[in-house]
Amino acid sequence: MIIDTNVQPHFRFNAEIRDYLPDAHRLRSIPDVEQQWYQAPGGDYRRDLYGEHYPGSDPETVARHLFDDAGVQYAILNPLTRGNIADYLLNSRICAAVNDWLLDRWLEPDSTGRFRGTIRVNPEDPKGAVAEIERLSAHPKLVQIGVPMQSREPYGKPMFEPIWAAAAAHGLPVAVHINGGNGVDYAPTFAGHAHTYPGYAAFMPLNYFVHLATLIVEGVFGRHPGLKFVFADGGYDILTPLMWRLDTFWLSMRDQTPWVDRYPNEYLPAHVRFCSSAFDGPTDAAQMQRWMEFSGKADLLMYGSSYPHWSTSSPEIAAAGLDAAQRDKVLWQNASELYGLAVKETAG
Amino acid sequence: MDYRYHNINSNEAQWLVVATVDGNSIELHDHQKGGGPAVLKRRLVCSLDELPPGTMKLVDVGKFGVGVYNVRGSLHAIVNYCSHEGAPLCLGYVGGTNEVDPDAPDRLRRSRDGQIVRCPWHNWEFDVTTGCNVADPRRRIRTYQVDVSDGEVYLTA
Repeated sequence: MIIDTNVQPHFRFNAEIRDYLPDAHRLRSIPDVEQQWYQAPGGDYRRDLYGEHYPGSDPETVARHLFDDAGVQYAILNPLTRGNIADYLLNSRICAAVNDWLLDRWLEPDSTGRFRGTIRVNPEDPKGAVAEIERLSAHPKLVQIGVPMQSREPYGKPMFEPIWAAAAAHGLPVAVHINGGNGVDYAPTFAGHAHTYPGYAAFMPLNYFVHLATLIVEGVFGRHPGLKFVFADGGYDILTPLMWRLDTFWLSMRDQTPWVDRYPNEYLPAHVRFCSSAFDGPTDAAQMQRWMEFSGKADLLMYGSSYPHWSTSSPEIAAAGLDAAQRDKVLWQNASELYGLAVKETAG
Repeated sequence: MDYRYHNINSNEAQWLVVATVDGNSIELHDHQKGGGPAVLKRRLVCSLDELPPGTMKLVDVGKFGVGVYNVRGSLHAIVNYCSHEGAPLCLGYVGGTNEVDPDAPDRLRRSRDGQIVRCPWHNWEFDVTTGCNVADPRRRIRTYQVDVSDGEVYLTA
């Protein structure tokens, strides 16, 4: 049994999104994909997948690569939009268009029930985001909310709380994923812009920790016991030292945030999950088991391939060095529990 | 001869204290793991007039000293040694702490005023009346018995 929690389906071509936009927005300019400064050399996606249509845009091909070749039973589709766009009302329409396209092209035609989807919403338009959650949350194949990693403010801030409240009310985890695009973008590191793609790709995923820290410290998790966040670009490998720091400061300054009524690290099991990433973890697989024990990471991590990204990782690579129990948790158990996906017997 | 048993959870070790009542004096013996018995003595601190509510007397006893506090008329004593890194805890500011008030604009409410000491090094908060750390009650500091007799304050430490 394998569940792939991080797959990016794409439109066949950039203009395809316009078929799903309302008339009032159909002629607006929208950034194409792969238009941001930090591109992987040779393209963001697997070279063998570029063809007449975009990588990851044909459901049958994706199904063949994931379900037949990689042995995956369920795949969580988490499409990107086009980055943060200054016209937040337009961006909300783009999110809705992506959602309608995902249902139309991927989820509803899938009679095998192996694809699950994400409701993309725009946090810069909290009212619109809540409305989009209310519009689609009842669909049985939409299993999470999707928001960009890039944000003007960390997600623990109060303007976002209505979105998280709506997600929690519908039992939907919130997946945070880097949303590359040519919209209004922000410096990818605390210290500004990386020089080249490796600096960007290595450090951009780590921004999740700012969202996570504020969700804890501002009491969002405390007020919404059912709220779960999935950090879909990984970064779980830096979790432990940063949680140690947060725990240490909490002991000294608890009185400033008394709604944090336990060690910050104690919020992790009920509220936080990670998708695996090709860039995470010890470079020496022999250290993997021990490292996974810190902060209980074996219960937090879920296999995610990042297909069709150039750094797509196979289940074998994601589980390298893990013991049998850790392997099961990472490859399917944690995801099965989070998304309520029934366990299937693996043949052979 | 009479024996009383107290179990006091300090930060790391559990102490078994045996009180021996012998006439007017009380001696308490600490049986710490691996160490010999340390004698606890009932000793005069000051007159009650010299320790009004809101004040503290630091008594030079033991390795680190003991602070005797008057919290709104009730007397308490704690070791002058923070369970974090050993700072002189009794030099810390005494005040209250904050708890959650969901209806207040700042979601905060002041509580336990006058009974929380803040460590001067890293701000750890301890409740003088229990020895418990406010954030994590398992991280305790040692407390001692205080009594008043004929207007005089006595510390058993």
